[in-house]
Amino acid sequence: MRVRRIAIVAAASCFAAIATAQARDERTAAVGMRAHIEQIVLPGGELVAAPAERAAPVVLRVLATWPHGDRFRYDLEWVGLEVGRHDLAKYLARKDGSAVEGVGPIEVAVTGVLKKGRLEPGELEPVAPRRLDGYRTDQIVFGALWLCGLLAILFVGRKRRRRQAPPTPAPTLVDRLRPLVESVAAGRADDAAKAELERLLVACWRSRLGLRDVKADAAISAIRAHGEAGALLRQVEAWLHMPSPPAAIDLEKLLAPYRTLSGTDLEPVAGREGALVR
Amino acid sequence: MTASATSTPRFAETREFLQQIRTRVGKVVVGQDVVVERVLIAMLTSGHLLLQGVPGLAKTLLVAAVSKTVDLAFARIQFTIDLLPSDIVGSDVLDQKTHEFRTHKGPIFTNLLLADEINRAAPKVQSALLEAMQERRVTIGNQTYPLPAPFLVIATQNPVEQAGTFELPEAQLDRFMLLHRLEYLTPAEEKEVLRRNAALGVRRDGKGAVARTEFDVLGDQAVGSSEKLVQAMEDVQQVHVSEAFLEHCVEIVNRTRKHPRLELGCSPRAGISLVKASRARALLHGRDYVLPEDLFALAEDVMLHRMRLTYEAVAEGHTTQGVLQEILSEFAQ
Repeated sequence: MRVRRIAIVAAASCFAAIATAQARDERTAAVGMRAHIEQIVLPGGELVAAPAERAAPVVLRVLATWPHGDRFRYDLEWVGLEVGRHDLAKYLARKDGSAVEGVGPIEVAVTGVLKKGRLEPGELEPVAPRRLDGYRTDQIVFGALWLCGLLAILFVGRKRRRRQAPPTPAPTLVDRLRPLVESVAAGRADDAAKAELERLLVACWRSRLGLRDVKADAAISAIRAHGEAGALLRQVEAWLHMPSPPAAIDLEKLLAPYRTLSGTDLEPVAGREGALVR
Repeated sequence: MTASATSTPRFAETREFLQQIRTRVGKVVVGQDVVVERVLIAMLTSGHLLLQGVPGLAKTLLVAAVSKTVDLAFARIQFTIDLLPSDIVGSDVLDQKTHEFRTHKGPIFTNLLLADEINRAAPKVQSALLEAMQERRVTIGNQTYPLPAPFLVIATQNPVEQAGTFELPEAQLDRFMLLHRLEYLTPAEEKEVLRRNAALGVRRDGKGAVARTEFDVLGDQAVGSSEKLVQAMEDVQQVHVSEAFLEHCVEIVNRTRKHPRLELGCSPRAGISLVKASRARALLHGRDYVLPEDLFALAEDVMLHRMRLTYEAVAEGHTTQGVLQEILSEFAQ
């Protein structure tokens, strides 16, 4: 029995020794920083943290307590509030209310990062506040810029372009017809020119007979039905499209009126035959 | 007109034959002279014709009348959504007696095929027909069969009631040489139709009788054989096309390609069709050479279905018809 008790005490001492070896023992800390002293064995009855005073330079907490033979083992946590050396034993009290005696000093050191006597960390630098209004001005400025851009797109360079490219009047029917008539009369016209001449002769009579807005096939029929225009169209068609055109076609005589054609000759005739021979 | 091929006996014979067809058809169909002309143009040039018009304009009667007049084999297919390609071209069927496959040729093996309401069939069927139209032969199983000559498809489509229809795409419309839009008859023509219909009477059938229709009026005796038709087709090939006319055709087709309101202008096939159709029209009008008036008369039927407006032009309310008229007007201005 006695042997067994000795074995238990020995094992407990062994565990305590191992725990003590791994425990933190932070005796120095900066102002406001937490520090821990663990597995510290203190003599006498069980100790607790004394009620904190408002102006105390150290705040102490007892995190855990274990019996350790006839003594107790503690984990302590402390925070230093004033620079200097302090005794944590002053901030302990017996749980049973008896006087704390026989507990040696537990000295810790509190260091500071500020210069001595300085309480504030540094002067605050003035910072410009975020803008809370003033958008109306921005909108007006943006609107004015947009308007300037629009006006620039619409008007800048327009006058210059207008000056650079004067409108070239489209060639009139007479302008287009006359050289073709001349080239055909001279025998220089190719197939494309002859086809163009036929189209322009039809156009000429469409204009004279007021058939510009009539459908193309109906206009051709109307021209065919017209005395002078029909005769001309039939002869031109015979000359251009028949496999062997009749020899009786006198091309020079046929096209003679169109060599001296003027713009007024193409105006629609009302109520009279549109004779081109003057 | 001076002495030309038109004064030869052969040309005179062809002219008379074509005039007889028109007269015979005119006895049955009232006031569709232009449509009859277009059908004849299609027949003479081996082109195909698409007729667009509302129901009741005697499209079927017209085609049946033309086929009987020229003694051509005629078949009609009513296109529906459930029609299959094999319903048109035919298929291989198993003979129960011989246990061998034999080919059943479809109604496409005819001279004159009326494809009624072509836009009601599914695209698969449409393309089967249009392929046959283009190649003039069909393949059934592993065998390819040539179609009879002449072979002409006259298809119809209804411009209204578009629900449940499959519009022919431009590429397939291009296969049709002509697309003619039928219009209503004039009041005088319509009155004549009513007068003729009222005089049809009743046809006895065994112990009963049925009211006679215009189809009963069609005589079975043809005005000419298919030989004469072939002769007429050969005569079309003799119609002279001048260089100036070709210039006109190229110019007008090119203008459709450059027009700002047109997204799709006419294809080269349109130019070819324009020349071919103009030659046939010239022959029908007793000429052995084409004139610009043929071009103007046929431009709408040949070119309109080959043109497509831009999105902007559609939004502005323009029509292809209006744009083509504008091109034709500017062509001679």
